[in-house]
Amino acid sequence: MFKRAFIHGLVAAALAAIAGIIYNRIYYFATETDFSKIINVGSIIGISVLVCMVATFIYFGLVKWLGKTGEVIFSFLFSLISFACVMIPISISLPLDIKSPEIFPGLAVPMVFFPAIAWYTIKPLFAGKE
Amino acid sequence: MKKLIYPMAALGLIVASAFTVVKSQDWKIADTYSVKFDGGDPSGEFRGLKGTVSFDPANLASSKFDATIDVASINTGNGMKNTHAKSEKWFDAAKYPTIKFTSSSITKTGSGYAAAGTLEMHGVQKPVTIPFTFENNEFKGSLEVNRMDYNVNTAEPNHGSQKFKVDIDVPVTK
Repeated sequence: MFKRAFIHGLVAAALAAIAGIIYNRIYYFATETDFSKIINVGSIIGISVLVCMVATFIYFGLVKWLGKTGEVIFSFLFSLISFACVMIPISISLPLDIKSPEIFPGLAVPMVFFPAIAWYTIKPLFAGKE
Repeated sequence: MKKLIYPMAALGLIVASAFTVVKSQDWKIADTYSVKFDGGDPSGEFRGLKGTVSFDPANLASSKFDATIDVASINTGNGMKNTHAKSEKWFDAAKYPTIKFTSSSITKTGSGYAAAGTLEMHGVQKPVTIPFTFENNEFKGSLEVNRMDYNVNTAEPNHGSQKFKVDIDVPVTK
């Protein structure tokens, strides 16, 4: 059972990372502002894997403990935490040598939703197999 | 001939007095300058430093600083804080676009020099003294500024720091 949840998390992490990397490139070409000190390929992959693996453990625990209700609780929790994480890029202070911190939230805010979106996107592929 | 005595004397005085005006070395501010402020939260820097730097350690009497900082250049590293800092509530950059320091006298101190003058910020002028050093064509100085003295968001005295340490590092070229 955990194997399914693990693969689910891993695939979601890969999708979130790909989406993040693509969006990062698009944002760079659109604004010509370099935030690579904070957000780069390595950090996007690392954070995507970290978030999706933590989500995997929470998902597995809740489903194991509460069954179908656990799945519902997990979905609410994942969405809620993703939404709350919007505050991180808005409130963070960047190193002073990074130009235009005003547009940093435009890059990072959408990214905080990528792991959750990726998770829900592939959810039907794993539905009913846990 | 007698008629020329006084005009000649006046001319002589003009010529002689010209030699008493000894101008200090004028310096250009290099792009690598930094004006950083630290109040814990927020901290950051200003860009947009402009002005005239006339300084000669051997002739402090004729040395003078006249510098302005573009308020809109404030960078705390956070876009939201930058916007707030420039707003009417804080620096009101639209109404008071510059912070200005004009020295009135520069004196030698034990560890370097001290520039006494007027700091104008947010429409308020206050006398300040900035201790500084000058080594290897680089001015380094620091001062403490209390935003309450300059009526910067006096409505919220506990919103962020009141006192800020300002570190100024200005390399110059001839």
